[in-house]
Amino acid sequence: MKLKVLPPTLRKNNHYLTLDIKIASQIDKDDLVNIIWDACIRFKGECGTSNYNLWVMKFYEFENIDDYHHYKAIVRCQRDFVGEVRSSLALATRYNSSEMAISTIGVSGTIKASQKYI
Amino acid sequence: MFFDLNIKGASLENNIKLAVQASEYGWEHINFSYNQNDFKDALSIKNDLSDSLEGIIDFDYTLEIKSTNINEIRKYVNNFRSRASCISVIGGDLKVNRAVVENIKIDALSRPYLNRFDSGLNHVLAKEAVRNNVAIEVCFKDILRTYLTPRAKVISNIRDICALHHKFDFPMIISSRAESIMDIRTTHDFCEVFRQCGLSDEDIDKSFESAKSILEYNKDRKNMIFKGVRRVSDEA
Repeated sequence: MKLKVLPPTLRKNNHYLTLDIKIASQIDKDDLVNIIWDACIRFKGECGTSNYNLWVMKFYEFENIDDYHHYKAIVRCQRDFVGEVRSSLALATRYNSSEMAISTIGVSGTIKASQKYI
Repeated sequence: MFFDLNIKGASLENNIKLAVQASEYGWEHINFSYNQNDFKDALSIKNDLSDSLEGIIDFDYTLEIKSTNINEIRKYVNNFRSRASCISVIGGDLKVNRAVVENIKIDALSRPYLNRFDSGLNHVLAKEAVRNNVAIEVCFKDILRTYLTPRAKVISNIRDICALHHKFDFPMIISSRAESIMDIRTTHDFCEVFRQCGLSDEDIDKSFESAKSILEYNKDRKNMIFKGVRRVSDEA
């Protein structure tokens, strides 16, 4: 049996980050989930990360550029913790010994609005 | 108004890549830094770089002196002062830190905490930095490229510098020291990381203003006769 959906006043407020990901090796959506959680736990700890309500909503693959693979993604996080999440992601530099860079190129209140940054 | 006074300069192609990426991520002015040995070679590619980056982003050169010999540092500063828009000296050695903050011809002491167990600054050096208008530079790459304990120590050192900055109000600049496009982040990410490390919004804004004022001051440096006296061309 499914839980009944919470009334709007009791729901968490989310923001959606559009991420620009450059990485030396190929990754898929599951890898990105690991990258995001590891980055947040490493920088802000387990207790801090528990507030963020992280979820990878969408994952886009772009053309390969000479020396790296290029991806974009939309990630959900809780509204009051956008700064913490984007700083944690900015400090992620390696995944499986491949060099990587994640930048947040947009923040929006809805998924639809965040897609304009893709 | 986002200025980065320390992006590691290399070949022409690499510089163009870095500058284009920085421009896409919201930076308005970058300085490519070269050490004392490479600076003359870098000046030779400046015109080509200027042609390639016209309309994309403003750029200039920083001389980054790396030496533990104080006399050698003084010699390099006198030699390159007129050719570099910013001169910074890599710190870490206490004697170097002291000599740099006492030298009015130097613009910035870069990373006074490098390879140290403390921030490399105290109240004495902070007062000297204020008196001689020497900025203290903190690099994003030191946080980015360290892990766990070393990263915690770097952040702790930055907090100590920030506390002294609040007390004595010496100029502080934050820069990326990016070597590849993997080290460049958007301006908002860059500011947010420092915000998480204990700097306030005001500190961050002031650091960009300090960077801008260094560049403006050095454009007019040849007209500075001594502190407080400037040669002006227009007659009153």
